[in-house]
Amino acid sequence: MTNLEIGIVSFPALLLLIFLRMPIGLAMFLTGYVGYWVVTGSPNMAMARLKSAAYSTFASESLAVVPMFLLMGYFATIGGMSRSLFKAAEAFVGHRRGGVGIAAVASCAGFGAICGSSLATAATMGRVALPELKQFGYGGGLSTALLAAGGTLGILIPPSVVLVIYAILAEQNIAKLFLAAFAPGVLAAIGYMIVISIYVRLYPDRAGTAERVPWGERMRLLLGIWPVLLVFLAVVGGIYGGIFTPTEGSAVGALGTGLIALFNRGLNRKTMLESFTSTARSTAMIFFIVFGAGFYNSFLALTQVPQTLSAWVVNLGLSPVAVLVVILVIYLLLGCVMDSLSMILLTVPIFFPMMMALDFGMSSEHVAIWFGILVLIVVETGLITPPVGMNLFIINAMDRSTPMTETYKAVSFFVLSDMIRVGILVAFPAITLFLIP
Amino acid sequence: MFKTIHAFFYRIAWWMAVVGGALLTLLVLMLCLSILGRTASTILHSDWMQSNMAGLANWLIGIGVGPIFGDYEFLTAGLAISIFCFIGWCQITGGHATVDVFTAGLSDRKRRWLQMVIEIIFALALVLIAVQLYEGMSTYIRRRSTTFLLQYPMWWNYLLALIPAVITAAIGVYMAAVRTVEALTDRALVVTEGAEH
Repeated sequence: MTNLEIGIVSFPALLLLIFLRMPIGLAMFLTGYVGYWVVTGSPNMAMARLKSAAYSTFASESLAVVPMFLLMGYFATIGGMSRSLFKAAEAFVGHRRGGVGIAAVASCAGFGAICGSSLATAATMGRVALPELKQFGYGGGLSTALLAAGGTLGILIPPSVVLVIYAILAEQNIAKLFLAAFAPGVLAAIGYMIVISIYVRLYPDRAGTAERVPWGERMRLLLGIWPVLLVFLAVVGGIYGGIFTPTEGSAVGALGTGLIALFNRGLNRKTMLESFTSTARSTAMIFFIVFGAGFYNSFLALTQVPQTLSAWVVNLGLSPVAVLVVILVIYLLLGCVMDSLSMILLTVPIFFPMMMALDFGMSSEHVAIWFGILVLIVVETGLITPPVGMNLFIINAMDRSTPMTETYKAVSFFVLSDMIRVGILVAFPAITLFLIP
Repeated sequence: MFKTIHAFFYRIAWWMAVVGGALLTLLVLMLCLSILGRTASTILHSDWMQSNMAGLANWLIGIGVGPIFGDYEFLTAGLAISIFCFIGWCQITGGHATVDVFTAGLSDRKRRWLQMVIEIIFALALVLIAVQLYEGMSTYIRRRSTTFLLQYPMWWNYLLALIPAVITAAIGVYMAAVRTVEALTDRALVVTEGAEH
């Protein structure tokens, strides 16, 4: 077998291990390790690499953003801001038809601005909004589906852990990617709100309305969310304004939400320890995948699969947009069974050189950013596509009276809105890129 | 008997996670302090301060107002140590990302055997990582490499990372043993909740 053939064979082998329920990071490490062995004829090279690989992967300055954004998210979760956000949004739109649901989505977007994780957003907002939605007569499937979809805003709206990983893999500027994610994130929130308005008109019996809230009260509630705004502006503004690096920005964010939690009396010994252990669990999961992926990807590079594959695709002479669409469909299919981070780490090293080799009539930096945002959206859709949408599981587990099938049915409307949005963003790259200098 | 053993490993993993979390929090505070110091230093060095309050400005600079020296070296070293502290907790609570759909249809018995094989491979990998980390440390001791700014021996970082790495390897081996007993006796000893993605 040539090296190229070994590289090509490694991919189905890796997928097989993953589908046999081997942890994804371990599967990538094992495939990379064995691959090195087969290509070089001895385990020495892999062993030598391992001497520094684990330490240097974990001691990465740019990856420091990940645990700090996670810690920021967990502090935000115990900080009680989720309730203030929801109450403020509800005061403005709750009296309209579908208004309480729209308020839930809006507060998910707000929470997403201080939390970089979809799951944390879905779980936190679910705890606050689910009882209220039920109280106002929202159908079980609609309530769980809209919160699961709203949760994906946690990652679409910066800060975003998945986007950080993409930025590192594709060697792109994190600040610019955050900026580019902003308009598509807002578009996502609007799309979900439109879905809710249409849904409650199709099934008027499945949603009630809240009492109209007087303007004075609305303003008072709006003032209550200033800490969220402050932290968001400090982090995103500081990173974009060049006052500090993304890593330092994530530290500022963690301190900010930590202080909010402290002042709201959400932070005590017990919740702090829980934040630590939750951060530990998610961080270890992410870093182990990053470690395995680093190993596997350097083996792939050794076999020259990425270069050969992208040259082959370019020679096919297909239209670049057609290739892009095929890639996005692959992500959607993978997203049905795999989590977003693993997908990115598994595929970006292969797909990214392909994208760079194709001519979209834009600068390569613009293509990289545009592709990153599109990938971010399709992998996030994976969180709400049956059968394995993690957000669906999380929210559905909170609501014992709603069968999973109800959630599946209602969430299809939100998935459709995601599809339409991806179509729009593919057709009009300017929506993503207009803020980028 | 088993409960005591499990509680022992669980406690160690939990403590490592908490120590790692506390270390991470220290790094957060350090970075924020460093930003404050850097901003203050920029203001003190500004033309306005230098022409109006040069004495005060230079005195403050003199007593060390400024960014923390070597902050990024502390950050990367501290981060590596805390990540090594985190992995054991992820291991014992079954927090690694997996794809479950294709094995969901298997019988409990078959799943236990599969789980055993995977957990043994995982334990081997963790042991290998710890051993090679030790080898990496030995290389740095031989080469007498130091860090770039703070100029302390590189192997100190490796040593501090090696301690949690060795404990994590032990936890990995323990979990492999648990899964092996589960497969051989066909019963559940430790139930984990699965990954949070």
